[in-house]
Amino acid sequence: MAKITINGTEVEAEAGRRLVEVIKEQGIRITNLCYIDGLEPYAGCRTCLVDIEGGRPTSIQLSCTAQVAEGMVVRTDTPEVKRARQGVMSLIMANHPDRCLTCHRRVHCQPGEICLRDDVVTHRCLTCSKNYRCELQTSTEMIDMGEYEEPWVGEVRSYYETPPPEPDRANPYLEFDPQMCIICTRCVRACADIRHTGAITLSGKGSSTAIAFGTGGPVHESNCDFCGACIDVCPTATLMEKPNKWVGLAEEWTNSTCNSCSVGCTISYGVANDRPVIVRPDRLNQFSRDQICVRGRFHYDAVAENQRLSRSLARRGERLLPVPADEALAEAARLLDGVRREHGGGAIAVLGSPLATNEEAYLLARIARDVLQTPHIDFSHGSIHRAVQGAIHDALGVDRLPSDLTSVETAETIVVLASDLEESHNVAALRIKDAVVKRGARLVVVSPRWGELVPFAAAWLQPSPGFEAAAVQALVRAIASDASQLGEPVVPRGVTASSLESAVEVVRAAAASDKGFAVVYAPNPVDAAAAGDQARACANLAIAARGQAAASSLHYLPTDANVLGISDMGVGPAANGMAFSQIIEAARDGRIKALLIHDDNPLLNGAGSDDIRAALEAAQLVVIDSVRSTTAELAEVVLAELPFFAKDGTITNADRRINRQRPAGVPRREERDGVALLTALANELGGNFAYADAAAVTAEAASKVAGYLPYEQVRSGRSRAVGAEATTQPRLQAIGAPAAPEGDGLRLVVARSLYTTWEGASMRSEEADKMHREEVATLNPRDAEAAGVRSGDAVVLTDGTHEVSVSVRLDDGVAPGTVYVPHYYDGGAVMSLLPLEGTAAASVTVAVRALQLA
Amino acid sequence: MPLETEATAEIRALVADLRPDDADMLEALHRVQHRYGYVSQEAMYVIADQLRVTPAHVYGVTTYYSDFRTTPPPEVTVAWCGGPACRLKNGAGIRDAMQAVLGIELGEDTADGRVGLVAGQCNGSCEQAPQVWVGERVVGRLTAARAVTLARALRDGADPASV
Ligand code: SF4
Ligand code: SF4
Ligand code: SF4
Ligand code: SF4
Ligand code: FES
Ligand code: FES
Repeated sequence: MAKITINGTEVEAEAGRRLVEVIKEQGIRITNLCYIDGLEPYAGCRTCLVDIEGGRPTSIQLSCTAQVAEGMVVRTDTPEVKRARQGVMSLIMANHPDRCLTCHRRVHCQPGEICLRDDVVTHRCLTCSKNYRCELQTSTEMIDMGEYEEPWVGEVRSYYETPPPEPDRANPYLEFDPQMCIICTRCVRACADIRHTGAITLSGKGSSTAIAFGTGGPVHESNCDFCGACIDVCPTATLMEKPNKWVGLAEEWTNSTCNSCSVGCTISYGVANDRPVIVRPDRLNQFSRDQICVRGRFHYDAVAENQRLSRSLARRGERLLPVPADEALAEAARLLDGVRREHGGGAIAVLGSPLATNEEAYLLARIARDVLQTPHIDFSHGSIHRAVQGAIHDALGVDRLPSDLTSVETAETIVVLASDLEESHNVAALRIKDAVVKRGARLVVVSPRWGELVPFAAAWLQPSPGFEAAAVQALVRAIASDASQLGEPVVPRGVTASSLESAVEVVRAAAASDKGFAVVYAPNPVDAAAAGDQARACANLAIAARGQAAASSLHYLPTDANVLGISDMGVGPAANGMAFSQIIEAARDGRIKALLIHDDNPLLNGAGSDDIRAALEAAQLVVIDSVRSTTAELAEVVLAELPFFAKDGTITNADRRINRQRPAGVPRREERDGVALLTALANELGGNFAYADAAAVTAEAASKVAGYLPYEQVRSGRSRAVGAEATTQPRLQAIGAPAAPEGDGLRLVVARSLYTTWEGASMRSEEADKMHREEVATLNPRDAEAAGVRSGDAVVLTDGTHEVSVSVRLDDGVAPGTVYVPHYYDGGAVMSLLPLEGTAAASVTVAVRALQLA
Repeated sequence: MPLETEATAEIRALVADLRPDDADMLEALHRVQHRYGYVSQEAMYVIADQLRVTPAHVYGVTTYYSDFRTTPPPEVTVAWCGGPACRLKNGAGIRDAMQAVLGIELGEDTADGRVGLVAGQCNGSCEQAPQVWVGERVVGRLTAARAVTLARALRDGADPASV
């Protein structure tokens, strides 16, 4: 620690730190338009000038490049410093519109006033979308530009002498209006150094320098993945979120958690008019910190307000019609009660959702157990989770992995088994890139198709679908001291000898070292049997490399946000209870008469759409949801629920952090939050639930479920619900041989893609993927040639019985003999090609047929 | 993963011996421009892949140097020498004359894609100042009148080797 003096006050600061950060931490306002906290200084804007005593050649120095040193005497407030900063700022402002700064009426522009443009001011000035929330604007105020010799009068203002460059408004997420750009290059560095994406560059030179995306075209043609990190750092209105760009001025901020994947990035909703209008990363989650992905930033906006349920629905003849909330509730209770009386609770099954909060899950499980008295409770992906959890339990003797995702960042060696981690768990992939780029970690990717992580990998194993576990097991075999427990070797089809050799070299080195080692596993959402084997192979790898400490090296990332939480809360079959696929079979055969479904959509999530549809049509459904999902369409009663962003509660992410969700919205009409609906429904059924709100549920759940905490004690992003230590020794396990494919068509790869939203897909909305980027099946050019199709052609994928229409894109990243279809494409259409879970999905083959246009 | 086509395979072969982190970017751009006359988007993708940088990075470098083009070149490129000897001998007049006849500024191509005008740097043959280069051939000791004739001929489709 060094002692320095800032504006006469003595301050302790770490020697070598960037002075500007220390100044800001002292609460001293200082302009620093090109600095990004934590990154190397760029020293381009010169607005951070301060006076450092004894500085050479002058005492006026840049505080972003200056480093704290013992005895430093700094002043930020001398007339010379101010004058210097004003001078610099006037150069910047020469090529920037000054409408928000110099409009003579700007201080008068309050709601109700008539503005310069003869318009009524509603709640903001109309001249720039960033007005009142702009760092450049604040910076000019900070250094009193208004007093600076009549700002810019008589100076050459190049901004007003050159035609403005064209804005790019062609994509649904990011609006790029370069006329506002001050070339601070923060966005370039955020995209390259924070995101490792590098979609932005400086083009040209001198006065023609400009920010450009990709090879100079529109943003959506570059490799930008719309994470918005550049938006967060842009000090002007150049890079802005497109949704709500003009109303994104938040009245208040609510910290919450993204529920679009199990990373569980903590976010802040900016709220205006009782709806989120903007999202910023919230640093609470120590793994995600200041980063989120396109889903976290934009999914609040996935579904138009008028597509959300604001009133409950009940079946009247063929149609679902809005009915008063009480009536719907009573009808739902009557229906369930009728079945219970006539056939017993066991004729009712309950489906929960991995996107629900722990509190909702706790109530749902209680309803099943205590009120309906049925053991049949699960969720569409329940078996996949249990297969993984079972494998981990057998291998490591724990039900809950103690591993902390932040250890992935410091690992020296990382092995990832996922279909495309970048797409399924974006910020986890980002942290892995951090480890590779910043710390030189060595990465092995095991995936049947190319993903953005591959270029960062030292080795990429590309097994044919179904052979992922075998590929990992081949690595285990290379380092395990006793391979006898690993079962018969299975040759990982598709994996080349040279890639295997490089990967083996990496894990051998890791096994021989005692530095950090991480195995990151994200199962595919379709195949429980394969998931079990993959989890076993991953656990084996952790054990072979780290022995007793294996459990801390293995990271399991479920596809959806709260799989771990709802399972902890009891959403899963009780003793003698049926699992999801059995529930579906029983409902189809009439043994299950009614289903209570909370936020799940089996038609979207479950493999075997035919069986599922038959089951949902045969049984009577009570659905609780915030949108009219394809399952809700088949219901007798739909109880209108508040959307996810308006919920209060907690969710448990992949490394078991307990994250708070806080409401960023209120009911518009009669919709209510899940906790209230479930409580009311339970009480209608005679349940005597007395929960006033989510907090009351949490308090009770904390006393019943190990590891959970009441609200007062939850520290979002830090508290973790980790379980007991292992009592058994780690044990290597054998894996099964993948089922042989039927027929000789293409093997199907199904996974979660990046952009398509659950809610949109659940409704089968055409806007589920607003960019229409994921509405394609990806095919290897070789197979395309054999099938006689070209990129862009509409084709039919068929297993002989079912058909999925889709256009194809040719891509060398999928192996010959395979076809990749995003899970959420067309409301989960691809699930019709797969059998009801329990059978190996990888054994399915499909044929591609060019669509004959009449 | 971008699709390999015959065109990209050809570009890849052209830069196949260049390595990441080896200051090979300019070499790659020169080779591509030499072969194709410009650096296409496709080429930027291939170079990025080969040198393990992003396409935006390649684009940034390409646009930094005025020598590199990102659009197909015109049939004839006329480089106007902006060096001191040429300037002393009415280089500016030569430029104005050519610009007026062709109806374009330095750095632009005629609408029919036939003639492009770019700024060149002194190549040491100052004894022939003031001069332009038609393709790679020096046309020196110009006068404004000769520049007009030259520009007209090129505009109207004359063989660049004969003017
Ligand atoms: S970007 Fe900021 S400073 Fe510029 S016009 Fe908009 S609000 Fe004003
Ligand atoms: S949104 Fe993200 S990926 Fe796209 S340019 Fe900005 S920082 Fe880069
Ligand atoms: S777009 Fe924004 S962040 Fe990027 S250089 Fe321009 S002003 Fe700076
Ligand atoms: S990585 Fe996952 S949790 Fe984080 S913002 Fe993206 S979808 Fe949400
Ligand atoms: S913040 Fe120091 S030069 Fe820009
Ligand atoms: S100055 Fe024109 S050739 Fe030297």
